[in-house]
Amino acid sequence: MEVALWAEKYRPKTLKEMRNQQQIVERLKQFVDTRTMTHCLFAGPPGSGKTTAALCLAHDLFGERYRDAFMELNASDARGIEVIRTTVKEFARMATISNVPFKILVLDEADNMTSDAQHALRRTMERYTDTCRFILSCNYSGKIIEPIQSRCAVFRFVRHSDEDVGEYLDYIAAQEKVGLAREGKKAILEMAEGDMRAAINTLQSAATFGKSVTEEGVYKVVGKAKPLDVQEMLNLALEGDFMEARKKLRYLLVEEGLSGGDIVKQIHSELFKLKLPEQAKLALTEAVGEVDFRLVQGADEEVQLSALLAQLALKGAK
Amino acid sequence: MREIAGNSEARDKLAKWIQSWLKKAPRRKAVLLHGPPGVGKTVSAEAVALDLGYDLIEVNASDKRNREAIDRILGTAASQGQLIGKNRLILIDEIDGINPQEDRGAVSAVVSTISNTNYPIILTANDPWDPKIAPLRNACEMIAFKRLSVRDAIPYLKTVLEAEGVDAEDVALKLVYDRNQGDMRGIINDLQYLTTGKSRLAYVDVQPLAYRDRKDTIFQALALVFSAKDINQAKRAVDASDVGYEMLFEWIYENVPRQLSDPRDMAAAFQNLAKADLFLTRAKRTQGWALLKYYFDLMTAGVGLSRKYTKPAWVPNRFPERIQFMSRSRSVRAVRNQIAASIAARCHISSRRALTRFIPHLKLIFQTNEREAAKIAAWLQLDEDSVSFLVGDEERAAAILKASVSAS
Repeated sequence: MEVALWAEKYRPKTLKEMRNQQQIVERLKQFVDTRTMTHCLFAGPPGSGKTTAALCLAHDLFGERYRDAFMELNASDARGIEVIRTTVKEFARMATISNVPFKILVLDEADNMTSDAQHALRRTMERYTDTCRFILSCNYSGKIIEPIQSRCAVFRFVRHSDEDVGEYLDYIAAQEKVGLAREGKKAILEMAEGDMRAAINTLQSAATFGKSVTEEGVYKVVGKAKPLDVQEMLNLALEGDFMEARKKLRYLLVEEGLSGGDIVKQIHSELFKLKLPEQAKLALTEAVGEVDFRLVQGADEEVQLSALLAQLALKGAK
Repeated sequence: MREIAGNSEARDKLAKWIQSWLKKAPRRKAVLLHGPPGVGKTVSAEAVALDLGYDLIEVNASDKRNREAIDRILGTAASQGQLIGKNRLILIDEIDGINPQEDRGAVSAVVSTISNTNYPIILTANDPWDPKIAPLRNACEMIAFKRLSVRDAIPYLKTVLEAEGVDAEDVALKLVYDRNQGDMRGIINDLQYLTTGKSRLAYVDVQPLAYRDRKDTIFQALALVFSAKDINQAKRAVDASDVGYEMLFEWIYENVPRQLSDPRDMAAAFQNLAKADLFLTRAKRTQGWALLKYYFDLMTAGVGLSRKYTKPAWVPNRFPERIQFMSRSRSVRAVRNQIAASIAARCHISSRRALTRFIPHLKLIFQTNEREAAKIAAWLQLDEDSVSFLVGDEERAAAILKASVSAS
């Protein structure tokens, strides 16, 4: 059955098909040629090609039945290091079918793991290193503990350039027989900021409005698909309507499924746009940092963020 | 007096004391009947008056009882000689309910009335050791009334109900008793409410009443927190209700913006709640339960004492909305997570990211273009609930599903 989501349908399947990240692709090709591999750390912004590179590598190394020698785990879906450890054990034990002596395990969102979990992971990596090579994928390599970093070859993915994204969008639009207006493409590129997945999703959504993707269509998509109404929440707080602000927060957390971390990130970037005296903004930045820290410790997201909203309400009232 | 259940010893003592007046006024010319509410203090005074054929002159808790009033009502009653030839009893009910502000001088008025009285004076109180009424203790004989025991109460209640044509299960009566902690007045009120228009009282009929009780205690706890004048008063909230400390936290967290509406107080209170939450988090993670005391202190005293600018006012407390919200949205979230999982399995992405990166787009596509929606629904193998969630319209959801079946 045809893959219905374009972001997946148009994912390159082999290293040759990857148009971007050429330096990285070259190094990965060497792994294929020598049939050897170190542990790897793929670091870079969302939608920059990390998962694609891992999949392509596996495909080139193991052939069509690569799924037997390849596994993906997600640090945020997996419930703790124990699950990861048992999964890896099972995976590593199963015999490989191909003539490559190891299997690949991709651990995505590795920077979401606490440092305790990462230490345990390092031990697991060492234990099964003969049969299992790890590809750790993350947005911020700084969040990966040093002992793991030193055991991995680090691959730094940079965000796609607007040209690269634009080219690919043209290609997909042609394939799907959808018109892509110049202004529409520009709007998508502006919104996507180098995130290929976001760009393709936006293209697909905007294409549902009519035969051609226009600027207007893109703005409709961005307006509706933009899940972060954080700005609205912050303004409500500043105006002193705490109860409404908290309701909005609750909606974002519970119904939209945003994490406290997502919201904090957005608050931090919105903070400087707010109509407040500079000193107040600085004080709030500190408060935001404190919330971020506490969330990582596992504190209640709504409670901590509410306290921040109350601070905002106070600053707004002064 | 025979009709009253329980406290037979106390009643006997009362009767004997009154009858001793017939011979000579005793040294202490007043008696203080004390005990918890609803155990028969007032009723006993009234009953003894009836039995002995005495006139009963009552001054009770709702009357203004400052010196003037007391002097006015009692002065004549207590000192005047018999006009009609009947003996009289003077009853001052719930003397410990006086408000030192409003009923100024009431206690000393009573004390002097007692010393000058020609007739027996009966006082009732819940707490005889209340410092407000300390001067009275020397002037009175103390008679203690205790709570009616279950063993005494149940047969008595059955008789009462029989007279009303109601047949009651023993366990139902016991539950009503427990709920009221032996307070007969409360028990009878509950029974009246429960049995109106009925001829049978079963355990299940009483259960809803028992829940009502819980809500009352949480409101008491909240009052302790939000009206606290000192740290200890606020801290008592932790023990005041039986809802469990995390639930108490939810109630406080929900109602801070209502009770402490000044933004300065609100911000301060929330700071402390956030800190309290941090301590709970640490305690849970490290299993260091000794940290809980800081959690308790911060969520009660830390909140209560943040009141600096908000004027005290009666504001109703609300049930923790986020708990209602969570349970209401549970099924919606379950469906949404199902869709996310479906995407995650096919697109090499985590469920969490699928939620934020894909679902908003899917919603848009499903609401705009049925044909595209059908293709996606088929590929993801979405069920009815999932499609409905994305479209937000049942009719169109059905259409999409039909199309998706043929597309797959």
